[in-house]
Amino acid sequence: MIIKRKMVSILLIASVVFFSGCSDNKEYETAICALADISGTYAKEKKSMVKIIQAGIVPKLVPGDSLVLMSIDSNSFNEENIKGKLKLDYRPSQANQQKLKFAKALDDFAEKKASAKYTDISGAMMLCSSHLKSTQAGTQIMFIFSDMKEELKAGIKRSFNKDEFKNINIAAMNVIKLNEDSTNPQVFRNRIKKWEKRVLKHSAKSWNASLDPTEIGDYIDKNR
Amino acid sequence: MSSFYIWPEMPFLSIAVLVAASMVFLYLARAPLHLALDSLNDGIAGGLERTAAWIKSVVVKMQEKNRKVLLESNIAESEQKIAQEFKRVEASYTKHLADYPALHLKLDENITSIDADFKECGQVIPEAPGWNDAVESIASIKGTASGDRVIEKMLKELHKSAVDGEKMALSEMQKTSSKRHKILSSLAPIWKKILKLMTEVDTKVSLVLETSGKIEKYMQDYEKVRQGGEDSIDMLSSKATKLFIFSIIVITVAGFGAFVNFQLIALPMSELVPAGTRVLGMHVSDISALVIVTLEVVLGIFLMEALAVTNIFPQIAGLTIGKRRMLLYAALLGLFFLASVEAALAVLREHIAATNAATTQALAGNVETTAGTEGSKITVIGQATLGFVLPWILAMVAVPLEMLIESSQHVLSKLIILIIKLVGYLVGIIGHLLNTIMKTIIHIYDAYIIIPTQIGNLFKSKSEPAHSGS
Repeated sequence: MIIKRKMVSILLIASVVFFSGCSDNKEYETAICALADISGTYAKEKKSMVKIIQAGIVPKLVPGDSLVLMSIDSNSFNEENIKGKLKLDYRPSQANQQKLKFAKALDDFAEKKASAKYTDISGAMMLCSSHLKSTQAGTQIMFIFSDMKEELKAGIKRSFNKDEFKNINIAAMNVIKLNEDSTNPQVFRNRIKKWEKRVLKHSAKSWNASLDPTEIGDYIDKNR
Repeated sequence: MSSFYIWPEMPFLSIAVLVAASMVFLYLARAPLHLALDSLNDGIAGGLERTAAWIKSVVVKMQEKNRKVLLESNIAESEQKIAQEFKRVEASYTKHLADYPALHLKLDENITSIDADFKECGQVIPEAPGWNDAVESIASIKGTASGDRVIEKMLKELHKSAVDGEKMALSEMQKTSSKRHKILSSLAPIWKKILKLMTEVDTKVSLVLETSGKIEKYMQDYEKVRQGGEDSIDMLSSKATKLFIFSIIVITVAGFGAFVNFQLIALPMSELVPAGTRVLGMHVSDISALVIVTLEVVLGIFLMEALAVTNIFPQIAGLTIGKRRMLLYAALLGLFFLASVEAALAVLREHIAATNAATTQALAGNVETTAGTEGSKITVIGQATLGFVLPWILAMVAVPLEMLIESSQHVLSKLIILIIKLVGYLVGIIGHLLNTIMKTIIHIYDAYIIIPTQIGNLFKSKSEPAHSGS
């Protein structure tokens, strides 16, 4: 009888230990946010940018991961700038269908003619950061498809919190060189350096501005 | 250092005075310091030596216990083997010798039939009808030689009748002979049947004898183990080690098989089981796949138990044949079900992989078609076959698992004994080293106070004659 009681106790303790180990998947998920610049000269890059997202980012998503596409325009800190959201189902077959559907949404986005006079990169980054934080995903990545030249409309103020980019890996993708950059490469380098300092100062986990589109998959895997 | 100098301006003199003072002090404190060092030596080195001795005694006890366990387990194993063989003999007797009375009856019937036929064909030469005596009597009648025509005629008729009678008798005999030959030829198949029956009897008796021979061999082994000689202990130990190594190898290979099996079903399981939660960092779908693989092993264990190949659960060994058969069918059915599920999952896996590849291609813009591109049928068939076969192979792991459990007890305790022995040796060596160091310190101490000692000895030797003189 005593042995039976002991056995029952052991079983109960084992069950408690086992089920206390239960957790949701959030910490194992990856949330990605892609910021697409549709202002000024970069608007021409829309199609190639969408191609990079379709071929480089979407296939790398696994069930449970999420991806959100936001546009960078004159006033980016706006929910309307969210152009598409994708949260993959845990069933692989459903996830594949969702990926294809999202790819179509991306195509539609690429086809739409939208342009902006100003470039509010910081606003988009803030919107993206709050979205990534809300996912509570273990891995959070922000891809910025832009020339990284910010031009804020008069009256718009952007200042990051100290932990604005905490746990977020930020990569500036497909950074094209402007005319002034070609004239003086130091201008381009200084611009990128300034962004690096800014994001790292606000607790970004990492910064990368020299990522080749073919290396996106490896970059996601590395940070996962 | 200079703060210790008595005269800081004269360091050499200060050192010399300090040395001399220490010498005098150590000389005077020689006896108590010797005692203190000896006590320290006894405490540390002696303690370590005692520890080493204790470890040695523990090792001896453990070795003895291990030896006993090895012997007892092998005795139990031998007893079990013998009991099993007796069961087999019983089954063999029941199976093979149960038919023996019927066989014997058949033999009796055949022999009776042969006997009857043999009697029937007993050859009796038919005699000619009783004419000869009559002819003889008539021939002796007077007047037969006188040429009496009546008698002559009568005799001729008689002769003719006698010859006819002989012919008839001969013909009758030929008929009877032919009938007998027929009977004798009909005996041949019966002989063949008897021969066949006898061969059957021989085979069955040989089988029974073979089993009895096995028992004899097991009995000899049992006797050897029971005697518990060093040879048999060494033999059993080496047997257990060999079993341990082989079972480790087989289980490692089976582990890789289980891994392949797991990989085969983990992905499709995510399609069936909600993977939204994790337990201990693992997807619930992965755990489900793991459970299926584990269940296959468990069913394999029950299958082997029901077949009496292994003897892990004594309760199963004690079941009646009918119940064991039920358990066997249940395990077979379960394995078949799991194998079928795995085959289906393997097909699903291939489908998912093909869909993934098609989606990636579509996203890369290489093909326009969406998911659902048909993959190679060979791959599907291969994966399905693998999914169906792997559970049956995994089910076999019960045999090496039992071997591992049985042999690990001895091998692990042997390993522990070896480690404890090593620790014992190390403690002994450290104790010996400390003892030597302490003795050396005492010698160095004596060497350091050699000058006051010699002076003291000189004084002693001078005072001793004075004492002895007075």
